[in-house]
Amino acid sequence: MRRMIHKKGNILTGNIIFIILNLVFLSILIIFLFSKMGSAIVLEEKYAKQIALILDSAEPGMIIHLNMKDAIKIANKEDRDLNNVISVQDNIVKVQLGEKGGYSYSFFNDIKSFIHLNTSSFEEYIIVMGDYN
Amino acid sequence: MILKNKKADKIISVYWFAILFIVAAAIVYMVISFYGEPYDVREAEAYALTNKVAGCLSEAGYLKEGVLNEDFRENFMEECKLNFEVEDVYNWKEHEQYYVEINFYNFSTNQSISSIKKGNEALMIDCESKGKIFSVCLERSFYTLDKEKNQYQINVLSIVRKRDKNVQ
Repeated sequence: MRRMIHKKGNILTGNIIFIILNLVFLSILIIFLFSKMGSAIVLEEKYAKQIALILDSAEPGMIIHLNMKDAIKIANKEDRDLNNVISVQDNIVKVQLGEKGGYSYSFFNDIKSFIHLNTSSFEEYIIVMGDYN
Repeated sequence: MILKNKKADKIISVYWFAILFIVAAAIVYMVISFYGEPYDVREAEAYALTNKVAGCLSEAGYLKEGVLNEDFRENFMEECKLNFEVEDVYNWKEHEQYYVEINFYNFSTNQSISSIKKGNEALMIDCESKGKIFSVCLERSFYTLDKEKNQYQINVLSIVRKRDKNVQ
C-alpha cells in the first residue's frame, strides 16, 4: 500500500514537471512572438510608411484620423513627448517612439500637412492637409 | 512491464521536447524573417503616383486645358504638385528614386502626340527584369476627350525604386 502511494506520487510529480516545462516553453515562444510584433522598430517603420502613403494620396482640406494606440503605448513607456512622435519636414515623414532612432520615409505629394495628437482620446493622431506648396 | 513503460514514457517525453524545439525553432525563424524584412510599399506608391498624375491630366473624363502645351510639359512637377526629393540615405540624393513617363496618343490614329518624362530615366532598365530587388514599374492607360471632342489615349508609366528601404 505504502509502495503504491509512493509510486503514484512519482508519476504525478513527473507529469507536473513535464506540463510546467511545456508551459514555460510555450510562454517563452508567445512572449517572443508578441515582443517582435509590437516592437518599436517595427511600429516606427509601419507608421512612417503608412503616413507617407496617406500623404501621397491626400488632397487639400482633408482631415485624416490615424489610430496609433500601440505606438503611443510604447512612446509613453519610453517617456517620449507624444507631440514629437510624428514629424514632417519638407516631404519626409519621421516616426520616432524612443529618444533614439526613428524611421523616416519620403512622399512625393507636394502638400503641406499638420499632424497633432487627438487630446480627447490620446490614441490617435489627426492629420490636417493644408494647401499645395 | 512497469519498468518498460517507464522507459517508454521517458523516450516519448524526450521526443516530445525534440519536436517542441524543432517547432519553436521553425516559428522563431519564420517570425524573424517576417518581421526582419521591411514592408514593401513600393507598389502602393506607384499606384498612388499613377493616380496623382492621371488626376492632374484629366478631370471628369476630360483632358485639362493646357496639358498638351509646352509650358505644362516644362513645369510638369509644379503643375502636378509633385516633389521627387528623398531622404539623404543610401546615396539616394544623388540617384532619384522615382520616374514618371506620360505618352499621349491620338485614339483614332494611335499616333504619338506628346510625351512627358520626369525623374530618373535609368530606372527604366529595371522594368525588363522581374524580382523584388528591381524597381517597381506600373503602367496604366486611360481614355480621355478634350473640349473639341478629340479622343486621346494616355499611357502613364510610374517607377519607384527605394529598394534599400523596402527589400532586404
